[in-house]
Amino acid sequence: MIPWFFAGPAAALFLIFFAYPLAASFVQSLQTTDGGTVEWAGAGQYARLLADPSFLQSLVNVALILIVQVPVMIGLALVLAYVLNQSWLRFRATLRAAYFLPAVTTLVAYAVVFRVLLKTEGGAVNQVLGVQVDWLNDPFWARVALIASITWRWAGYNAVILLAGLQAVGREQYEAAAIDGAGSLTTFRRVILPQLRPVVLFCSITSTIGTLQLFDEPMVLTGGGPGDATLTPILYLYQVGFRQFDFGYAAAIAWVVVALIGGLSYLQFRYFGRERS
Amino acid sequence: MVKRIHIIAGVVIVGGLTMGGCATGGLPAKDAPKISQSSGGTLSGEIKVWSWDVAAKALQRMAPEFEKTHPGVKVQVVDIGYDNAYDKITVGLKSGSGLPDVITLEDDRISGYVENFPNGLVDLSGVASKYKADFDQAKWAAATSGKGLFALPWDSAPVGLFYRRDYFKQAGVDPDSIVTWDDAIKAGEKIKQVTGKRLFVADLTTPDMFTTLLQQLGQGYFKDGKVAVNSPAAVRALTLLKTLKDKDLLQNEKGWDGRVTATKQGKTATQPTAAWWSGTLTGEMPELSGKFGVVPLPAFDANGVRTSANGGSALAVTSQTKNQEAAWAFVQWLLASKDNQVAMMRNEALFPAYLPALTDPLFDEAQPYFGGQRVNRLFADEVRNIPPIELTGDDSQAREILKKAVSGSLLDGDDPKAALDEAATRIASATKRPLAQ
Repeated sequence: MIPWFFAGPAAALFLIFFAYPLAASFVQSLQTTDGGTVEWAGAGQYARLLADPSFLQSLVNVALILIVQVPVMIGLALVLAYVLNQSWLRFRATLRAAYFLPAVTTLVAYAVVFRVLLKTEGGAVNQVLGVQVDWLNDPFWARVALIASITWRWAGYNAVILLAGLQAVGREQYEAAAIDGAGSLTTFRRVILPQLRPVVLFCSITSTIGTLQLFDEPMVLTGGGPGDATLTPILYLYQVGFRQFDFGYAAAIAWVVVALIGGLSYLQFRYFGRERS
Repeated sequence: MVKRIHIIAGVVIVGGLTMGGCATGGLPAKDAPKISQSSGGTLSGEIKVWSWDVAAKALQRMAPEFEKTHPGVKVQVVDIGYDNAYDKITVGLKSGSGLPDVITLEDDRISGYVENFPNGLVDLSGVASKYKADFDQAKWAAATSGKGLFALPWDSAPVGLFYRRDYFKQAGVDPDSIVTWDDAIKAGEKIKQVTGKRLFVADLTTPDMFTTLLQQLGQGYFKDGKVAVNSPAAVRALTLLKTLKDKDLLQNEKGWDGRVTATKQGKTATQPTAAWWSGTLTGEMPELSGKFGVVPLPAFDANGVRTSANGGSALAVTSQTKNQEAAWAFVQWLLASKDNQVAMMRNEALFPAYLPALTDPLFDEAQPYFGGQRVNRLFADEVRNIPPIELTGDDSQAREILKKAVSGSLLDGDDPKAALDEAATRIASATKRPLAQ
């Protein structure tokens, strides 16, 4: 009885706030609402979703971000972390804080600032570059703007996690590499990077999850537009649920996103998580 | 890790909302509660009202007056802010709890809520039908859905063409000579040549201006319940916008702030928008006093309609109220009253949908901000000409899909007819409605 007494409250909370909503949302994902009446849609809901051009476009959009933004950001974070770990660097603590800072700014505040910076006419970015790029209204540039803003926000955050990994690498390993005559680039590539593998894996999985759940930036920056160029699955979920009142359809989107996150995380573990033998 | 919490929260939110959904699974929706008669007895208790911006200010100012005439009733006004207002209302309707007695709704939201939450709002037709002739008909139609009347119209939004007197003068264009949109395009080209200013501000990623023009042509997104976003009128409205864009007469600015800033900076010569814009002008840019004038909206054809509607709101009683009679008494006292509507026009520039109020001398006062022009009289005359349109519960879905058609046509140069045809097909499949024609 005693174990139940201690585990009981946590188990009850888990059932009420996690297991029940999870099950209920799955049931709901098989229903659709039409004029206030709830109707059973079954698997047809998912068939409809997979034939929905807006949803497919949102998947293409996050796939693009995954392929382009996540590697660029983690590469950038690695370089940042490596530089921030150097003993010759002055004001290290201040710099680390400065690069981490974007991760704690309010999402909406920073998106609004980016919107002002990226204005076509009179925006700071266009004025500095001396160009007339339609950052938020051209499908290509809107994606570039979105990727740039996410990178700005999360590169420092990942750098700090990678930095923690770097600091776990013992001084003697650098010394051993130096004695063997390795230059700093070779040391980084052959000695440091392999040891960082689990940390890089952690960063890429959290970034993948973060990308699939991207909401705030496209919501404030572009509203998913122009057209569906920067629409993400979660932004679409929000529009379907709260703008079009089709909560069953929104729940189906949530479940497809859950499946995608599960699948991608599994693949990353499987192919990048192996220890080198 | 911070982000990981989001998906869990997302699933919980969507899942949590299911509780309401499951309870009614497969059953036909219940009918809306009705209020049929006032008991005539003394009212008592407390009612809560949700609103935002100037509308909330008006309510806060008027509530004590109501309490004086109905000593037993306390009115609590909550300014919930515009940005989250509809999310709050949606969650309240979906979960069946948490809503106040009275809520503010903009016209284009009413039928969406009524059709998707059939028992969420109280049917007022039993007590309000007697006022039908006293209200702006376009707004009455917007508040009516299916069997009942689900809100009482509050402020109207007749559209006119605000223009900069100085730019027109500099370019030698007489604003009164603009009768049709063709005239407006010619005037716009001339003004741009002389002053370098574009014709008006529009957010080209939203279908808002397209929708206003479509209503000017007497049509909404649906006709007799069928998808009509690719009707000849719709193609005409989008083609006009595309022509303006191709001639570089549109100043593309994002959202409300973009529009206000561009106007304040004097980037455009005109702004085709609703009467409430004068409140924004006087409030946000008092330094431009004397620089603006208003003429009726240019028509599509020589004798065509010269106004449309853009915005405007109403008050609805929620079925979650415990005090239906007091809630209705407040709504009726505030909106079906010449004095109160005039007071809100004077203080908050809320343009009355209650027609008897429009005869007040206030509407004939010369306005110094507009160079002494009687702008309110012009709008008061236009209110009766606003074409009523069909609004449905699927309008917001149609609007989302139209975003792509409109921005595709205006920003990427797609053919308006082709873009609207594609949108129509998508709306038809999303709403399971047939195509018109």
